[in-house]
Amino acid sequence: MHISPRNRKEAKMKTLCSWIILAATALAVPAVPESMRAGDKLKVVTSLPDLKSIAEFIGGDKVDAFAIATGFQNPHFVDPKPSYILKLSKADLFVTIGLDLETGWVPPLLNSARNSNVLKGAPGYVDASTNVPLLQVPTSVNRGEGDIHIYGNPHYWLDPAIGKIMAKNIFDGLALDRENESYYEENLKKFNERIDAKAKEWMTTMLPFRGTKIIAYHNEWVYFEQRFGLKIVDFLEPKPGIPPTPSQLAKVISEMKRENIKVIITSPYFTTESADLVARNVGGKVVTLATSVGADESIKTYVDLFDYNVAKMVEALK
Amino acid sequence: MRRIKWRIIQLCITVILFSVANAQQDSTAIADSLLVELQRQMSPQLQPQQAVARPAPSTNPDLSAIGDFRSSYTSTASRKVETYLNELELQVTSVVDPYARAEFLFSFGKDLTTGDLGIELEVGTLTSTSLPYQLQLVLGKFKPQWGKVNVLHPHYFSFVDFPKMISNFFDEEGMFMEGLSVSWLAPVNFYQEFVLEVGRVGSEPNASLVQGNNDRLLYTTHVKNFFDLSDDATLEIGLSALTGPNRYGYSTGMAGLDLTLKWKPLQFNTYKSLTWQNEVLMNKARISGMDIVQTFGAYSYVEYQIERRWFIGVRYDYSGLTDDEQQKEQAGTLLLRFQPTEFQILALQYQYSDWNHAKGISQVTLRAIFGIGRHAAHAY
Repeated sequence: MHISPRNRKEAKMKTLCSWIILAATALAVPAVPESMRAGDKLKVVTSLPDLKSIAEFIGGDKVDAFAIATGFQNPHFVDPKPSYILKLSKADLFVTIGLDLETGWVPPLLNSARNSNVLKGAPGYVDASTNVPLLQVPTSVNRGEGDIHIYGNPHYWLDPAIGKIMAKNIFDGLALDRENESYYEENLKKFNERIDAKAKEWMTTMLPFRGTKIIAYHNEWVYFEQRFGLKIVDFLEPKPGIPPTPSQLAKVISEMKRENIKVIITSPYFTTESADLVARNVGGKVVTLATSVGADESIKTYVDLFDYNVAKMVEALK
Repeated sequence: MRRIKWRIIQLCITVILFSVANAQQDSTAIADSLLVELQRQMSPQLQPQQAVARPAPSTNPDLSAIGDFRSSYTSTASRKVETYLNELELQVTSVVDPYARAEFLFSFGKDLTTGDLGIELEVGTLTSTSLPYQLQLVLGKFKPQWGKVNVLHPHYFSFVDFPKMISNFFDEEGMFMEGLSVSWLAPVNFYQEFVLEVGRVGSEPNASLVQGNNDRLLYTTHVKNFFDLSDDATLEIGLSALTGPNRYGYSTGMAGLDLTLKWKPLQFNTYKSLTWQNEVLMNKARISGMDIVQTFGAYSYVEYQIERRWFIGVRYDYSGLTDDEQQKEQAGTLLLRFQPTEFQILALQYQYSDWNHAKGISQVTLRAIFGIGRHAAHAY
């Protein structure tokens, strides 16, 4: 069959146009998250393991959760490894503590994840701090005061009552999966009941120690302090994020002697040399509390976190 | 008398016992009411009412300024001691809309020879955030993702100067490009990213590449492979290639290989770390109809964090030139770095370098990097 040069040109043009239209159509089709297909689990990525634990409680067997940070890591300084980008690129939901806690590592991960479903403002982005009653919200911000968080102290997950607000925020995020809404709602109710029941136990156990003065390494226990009625008098860090200095340690030693303070609380990711030095000088104790789920092998869930910390505090204060 | 005394003692004991009993009753009552109140506070309905007003959200972009001050002694220079503000970087970043974000980076620098202060737009990019199929598109002026060091801005590199292979084959601050960059995350079970970039070399030509007067463009490509060896150790292997017009009116082609091993214990990652980074660059430049120059450059460095705020480093450099097979530069560098916070870095560097094993140059440099404002976090 003979094809004229004109027809051949037209055929070529048509083929080219078809390819362009095909490519444009392919690009225009919104990417459907793999796990949103019926029967698949919702892929949840969280910044901290505490959020993962709550997400697993609410999501049950309908979610597959992954936490970027481990429980014994400093949540301010997690390395944004490319392998986490892979996780985020496939996520349906990303849950963050927010309030600039993860400002050094979450933005570069999200920016490279190529997943608009979990970017800030998208339905798959959950800020667990929504509606959380914040403490230590600064009225002015100056880096001369150390690592000050402009929105307030971000370590709010260390108050179990706030855990219920976090759970509600995660539940709201799981609204992506309308099919299982009632299942999630039922789990949220169970989570709140569990926290309320355990809270009575924790509060009763800690009641004899209300008002007890203690020292902390870093300013990250204010929510725990308020909930359990402790009184943090000073910190080993002279300013948030600044390592302990000899003059600060001398000041703390003097305060501990004057006020008969015997306990210093610290976190798993700080070395204990400074705390040990102070404790030796005042005949006190250093208690390493768990800052997150997984900080100790025995802490598997968000509830375990408070079981562990309350037991540790009681052991130190009695 | 004895009886009266006994009565008084009995009365006192009774009063004390009564008081103690009463006190116990009171404290129990207080404890119970306190417990009830505390338990009531655990109710979720009360929490939002306690919320403190948060700072108002703003659509203003993040703005930061980074200063780079240097003071140096160079053994062979006519003016041995220099002290100067090398650069001020002003960065503006923000999300543009649901589909993209933007970054602008202005550099205010001083030309040491003329003493003139110049302003340059080093980076101006629009980056897509919502392309499907794991694609990302960047357009504008940027540092190409070629190799491991080139993409960095000097303030983020451990050493005071870039490796010699970067300064000899490109420029003191590496290669810039104006054009398009497309990257794609491969659907494999480890991190593998393919990057293809096309455009013209940034407004200032570098040692190897120029903008050119014809339609010959600069093409660069990079494949990044990243592996978690354990919770504490990672390995990155990259392959790079480029081709673009050179100053002789022909093309220069380059291939590169980079390998980076990092160790950082998860639990104490702010106290200890080790980085071993290596790059090799192979250059093939046609400089006339008959002549092709083949040269190469390489560096290897180790940086160890000895304490929370202290780092030490050592680096070896070897580098040829893009258009001369006879010239070779070598350098050995020692580094001591003190980082009081994330916003300030003080570095003291000693470097011994020579060309073709001739009399060497000793240089000692003190650098201070200091940043203010909200600077976008760097990639791993």
